[in-house]
Amino acid sequence: MSLVPAPVTAIHLDHISKSFTLDGGGTIAALGEVTLKIDKGEFVALLGPSGCGKSTILRLVAALEEPSTGAVTIEGRAPVELSRQHRLGVAFQDHALLPWLTIAQNVALPYQLAGKPVDKARVSALIALVGLAGFEAARPKQLSGGMRQRASIARALVLKPDVLLLDEPFGALDAVTRRQMNVELQRIWSEQRITTLLVTHAVDEALFLADRVVVMTGRPGKILKTVEVPFARPRHPDVTREPRFHELVDELTLALEPAGGHG
Amino acid sequence: MTKMLKTFVSRYWGVAGVLLFWQAWVTITGVNSIVVPHPIDVARDIVTEPGVYLSNGSQTLFLAALGLVLGMALGTLVAVLAWSSDILSGILTPLGLVFSSVPVVALIPIIARLFGYDVKTVLAIVVIISFFPAFVFTSAGLKTLPAGSDDLFRVFGASRWTRFVRLVLPSAVPNWMIAFRLAAPPAVLSAMVAEFLMGTSGLGYLFRSAASNFQTDRAFGTSVVATIISVICFGLALSAERAVLKRWT
Amino acid sequence: MKHRQRIRTITLGAIGIALFLALWELIGIRGWAGLTWPPLSTVLAFLFDPSRRPLFLRAMTASFSMIAFGYAIGLVLGLAAAALGHLVPPLRPGLDRLASIIHAIPTIALAPLFIVLLSRELTGMAIAALGVFFVIYVSATSGLAASSAAHRDLFQVFGTSRLTQLRRLDMPAALPALVSGMKYAVPAAFIGAILGEWFGSSRGLGLLMVSAMQNFQIPLLWSAVLIASTASLLIFGLMSLAERLAYERYR
Ligand SMILES: Nc1ncnc2c1ncn2[C@@H]1O[C@H](COP(=O)(O)OP(=O)(O)OP(=O)(O)O)[C@@H](O)[C@H]1O
Ligand SMILES: [Mg+2]
Repeated sequence: MSLVPAPVTAIHLDHISKSFTLDGGGTIAALGEVTLKIDKGEFVALLGPSGCGKSTILRLVAALEEPSTGAVTIEGRAPVELSRQHRLGVAFQDHALLPWLTIAQNVALPYQLAGKPVDKARVSALIALVGLAGFEAARPKQLSGGMRQRASIARALVLKPDVLLLDEPFGALDAVTRRQMNVELQRIWSEQRITTLLVTHAVDEALFLADRVVVMTGRPGKILKTVEVPFARPRHPDVTREPRFHELVDELTLALEPAGGHG
Repeated sequence: MTKMLKTFVSRYWGVAGVLLFWQAWVTITGVNSIVVPHPIDVARDIVTEPGVYLSNGSQTLFLAALGLVLGMALGTLVAVLAWSSDILSGILTPLGLVFSSVPVVALIPIIARLFGYDVKTVLAIVVIISFFPAFVFTSAGLKTLPAGSDDLFRVFGASRWTRFVRLVLPSAVPNWMIAFRLAAPPAVLSAMVAEFLMGTSGLGYLFRSAASNFQTDRAFGTSVVATIISVICFGLALSAERAVLKRWT
Repeated sequence: MKHRQRIRTITLGAIGIALFLALWELIGIRGWAGLTWPPLSTVLAFLFDPSRRPLFLRAMTASFSMIAFGYAIGLVLGLAAAALGHLVPPLRPGLDRLASIIHAIPTIALAPLFIVLLSRELTGMAIAALGVFFVIYVSATSGLAASSAAHRDLFQVFGTSRLTQLRRLDMPAALPALVSGMKYAVPAAFIGAILGEWFGSSRGLGLLMVSAMQNFQIPLLWSAVLIASTASLLIFGLMSLAERLAYERYR
């Protein structure tokens, strides 16, 4: 008998594939066979070339799409049950803030959608956390692209979700702000150990944040390789300077190259 | 000072040009001044008998405004009903399209005959005329949700009602304001035309009686008052639209 | 999937129109709306009675020619004004104001002016032209602004003259919006012509409507309105087809 509790599977993609029907009548295979298990409290990053099906995987977990074959379960049940219980947090690739609400109202929106009273203190704390203090009363169009993305991350976190899905949340940020946001995200994650699935194009971001990095290839999307990230937590930004970190960056970058990383 | 003058010229040279062209036309073709009254005479009639213009003008304005509000409300209500049911929407949408592609003003004589020559008929006409843009634009607005918002509401587990109140209705507001601005001038116009055709009361009636009594200064005075009322209504609707769109999009 | 959606849309639309026509007939037969609401069949029988053909033909010729001329004049003026504002930007604000004031004036208020300046018969044409002018000006202006900034910069870098840019970039980009505008100008032209005829023209569908209304000639009244509406609907439908072609080709 082991003293370490066995990991509990939170998200399970069980031999799923997904194809879309195009307007013309043809079909496009977005995902081939994909199997992936994500443990409770685990942070998994998805890497892969554009169009390889990363967002599609996220949408399947968020119950926004149905798999063509196979099954997606969260804690053994259908993902839609999780969203009905308001236990899902999502930040999409495009921010999806409502233009007629202020930033504070946008961040508070999940409370209203869940029919819960708004926790004003938590809303302003999260806004401060993503570096938007002072912009509570601004409207989305008055903010830059990166600021909007940060607002949508605050919104994803506001209900203390059990599963967090992030689709290139820092895509529009400059390198410095991105680094800062990575540190903040790690801090928030360490406090609650939310099961997190992060889609990103940045190899160093994936290595810095995730427990496991999954590399995909496209058309149809498949998992190419999985890399366990060996660095202990909490991770100081200085890990990115370690030789081991650079080795892993090189390994993953190679895997991402069109040839497929057989070198 | 010169800056103000410059802005004024840059904004109103077109209007001024048309007025000058009109004056030139009258001078060159030598139209009889009994047929076209001098602007002074028109102004004198308005100033000396403001009561006639005021009572008739306010009645027309009241009917147009009330009819516009009721028509917009009705159009919005039907658009929401159509939104809630695919079948209803499939049936009503093409009808809305048909009615917005026909000259609805031509329906005024029919409505006048159906409801009888009465002030209430004027109101009914304005309601019907304002209904169609409200229905067509609100219907479209209820379907144009901000990018990604539908997914967002599903992921956060919003109920159908919450989605309607917090997403679908607010999404329709910009289109609703466009409908309001588009419907405002036809509301005043159709009220006046209805009054003109039925000869009940209001500006349209004043216009008709002045024309048939050859009081050309009164007829032109009515035109001036009607134009002022309509331009003000349109201006108000336009600035309301701009203010809302600024906050909303 | 897409195909089934289309069939569904068409079926439901056809049901909607059929229900509307059936209701029209039923209300007329049952007399729910009184004597002034004739059944559709009565109106159609009245309309297609050979003895009335000359009457309707005369009215249609008069009205449709006013509509066509008014439409053409409004189209040319609207295009000219939009092109002027586009080529000489300082003139834009003045043109915009003029257009929106023309739009805001209740056309009935201009009738006395047109009656003296032109004639009773041409008043409808003038009002139609004004309505068309506004719709065309607005759609052409917004269409001319539709060519993307990136494309404009590209042309600028190549040192293209303003006129060439208008011909090669702005006009093709403006075409879809313009065709949409031309579509919406159709009912505007009909409204203008009919309104004009209500102010004492001696011919046309508008005259038929007013005199039928005053003399309680109910089937005649509905027939005249039906003719005008159907004609507007048909031309609007044709324009919709042209619009679809323009969008496919230029977007
Ligand atoms: N709704 C849809 N209809 C048709 N095809 C789709 C749809 N959604 C995604 N696809 C296709 O599925 C494939 C994967 O798309 P997906 O958005 O998951 O890629 P991605 O990995 O997120 O790319 P990126 O990094 O550019 O965001 C693409 O080829 C895309 O064209
Ligand atoms: Mg994506």
